[in-house]
Amino acid sequence: MNMTQPIIKVDSISKRFGGNQAVDHVSIDIKRGSILGLIGPNGSGKTTVLNMLSGELLPDEGKISLEDFDITGCSPSKLVQLGVTRMFQMTKVFVRLSAIDNLLIAGQALGLRKEECLERAAMLIKELTLENVQYLDAAQLSGGQKKLLEFGMCFMVPPKVALLDEPFAAVHPVMRQTMSQFIKDRHQKGQTFLLVSHDMPIIKELCEESVCMNAGKIIAQGKTKDVLDKAEVIEAYLGGDHE
Amino acid sequence: MIGKRNLWSNKLTLDLKFFLVLCCLIALVPLFDLTPYTLGILVISFYFALIAMGWNLLAGFTGQFSMAPAAFAMIGGYTAALLNHHLGLSLWVGMPCSVLVSALLGFLVGSTVLGLKGPYLSLTTLAFAEVARVVISNSHDFTRGDQGLNVPTLMQSRLGYYYLFLALLVLIALLIYALMRSRFGGFLLAIRDDAHGAQSRGIPIVKFKLIAFILSSAISGFAGCMYGTFTELVSPEMGLIQQAGIIISMVVIGGMGSLSGPLLGALIVYLGSEWLRSVGNIQMIVFALTVIIFARFFRTGLWGLFLKFYFSMLTDKNR
Repeated sequence: MNMTQPIIKVDSISKRFGGNQAVDHVSIDIKRGSILGLIGPNGSGKTTVLNMLSGELLPDEGKISLEDFDITGCSPSKLVQLGVTRMFQMTKVFVRLSAIDNLLIAGQALGLRKEECLERAAMLIKELTLENVQYLDAAQLSGGQKKLLEFGMCFMVPPKVALLDEPFAAVHPVMRQTMSQFIKDRHQKGQTFLLVSHDMPIIKELCEESVCMNAGKIIAQGKTKDVLDKAEVIEAYLGGDHE
Repeated sequence: MIGKRNLWSNKLTLDLKFFLVLCCLIALVPLFDLTPYTLGILVISFYFALIAMGWNLLAGFTGQFSMAPAAFAMIGGYTAALLNHHLGLSLWVGMPCSVLVSALLGFLVGSTVLGLKGPYLSLTTLAFAEVARVVISNSHDFTRGDQGLNVPTLMQSRLGYYYLFLALLVLIALLIYALMRSRFGGFLLAIRDDAHGAQSRGIPIVKFKLIAFILSSAISGFAGCMYGTFTELVSPEMGLIQQAGIIISMVVIGGMGSLSGPLLGALIVYLGSEWLRSVGNIQMIVFALTVIIFARFFRTGLWGLFLKFYFSMLTDKNR
């Protein structure tokens, strides 16, 4: 395995919905062990790119590779088995089951034995400070706790790449801190992330490099600071008034 | 504290214990010197409980709302009857064949419909159920149409059938318990709660929905075959849409997604229906209203109410 080559290579993918060109020949390299930020105004095509990466949508054109293996058109369940996990903007947890049961299912779906799952679930519950609600049904958790739970489900088996869609949206500052610390810790251990967020301080704090999209195209990519300072980004994304 | 009691495996075990206690109580009922008619009513309510348990595996545990449970029971009954009528095969061949044929048809129908969601799945299974019933009803030369077909009986004793059906209920409950405690059961619950979320966790949802559909069809088919041996007759009436409605109302009233719910619901609905017969032909009105009340106010059914009461008792005790 070549450690310098990108873990995910997105090669000129496009997606059209009727008359709307949602994504137009987008190419992104996600480096192994990096946290790449994907930013852009609403409707810029970020989530469509994420949907194609996680197998929810099939690109009209282009190719997506995971470690040289063509994953274009793979189903979401197949991609999770291959190591591409995703956290959704609208939380997806199993509401009529307890938090522990949610983690257990996520682990078992990836082939872990029950005892192994319980062990890992206990660690994640502690790390994500969900001890007080671990036996409650997911329906009874707050929005932020549900996000933390889904976050934990993504890491029952450490993935090759974690795709995070707005993980910090509508989350209490204390829980944000827990989540961002979790990302930093995992990043130090070599975990790769693609982080979609509108939260610029978090993007600056976590992502060394970022990609900015507007109207389905990439308008800037490189070091996060440089991207955020570009005039096109300020105009498209920050309304021309960026400090 | 409710704590670990709220874990799925613990709730399911509590459910099984309740189910077994209920079955023990039911086993004592014949000590009260029941008439053959009353015994017959109870056996038929057990038949409905068996189909309700099969349907509950699909709808209550997996979230797939099929409208064909009664049709699969009819198909199971007819399989044994046709094998006996045309080929002279005994019930010992007919019974496993009724399970296999129902499972095979479940596979074919499931493969077609399980890509569909919500009302489309229900409508397609409803259409299948009606087509199956009309084909059987109109194939006079092969099935004797509305006259029905005779089925050999396993025994003449109604009491024997009473305990046979009760044993089958326990057997199916244990089978479902084992399935639902395994990783397979966890995947079904995940699909029920959020199919999209389950897929994004790596669960191949169509495969597991299909297995649940096949198992549910096989249980219904077996129940239909056993019903045929008890009444010594199968007819297209077994597959009427009203029968599916009764089965669904049993599960909704008893509690979807539980082991005890279908049995509780079957006993209440079928015995209640017999009792209401003396009052006048108002059974369907009463049950329709009961289903509306449960669907609106008590979605978890009687089993859910029991659990709520049990957990609140535990909380009070620990205060």
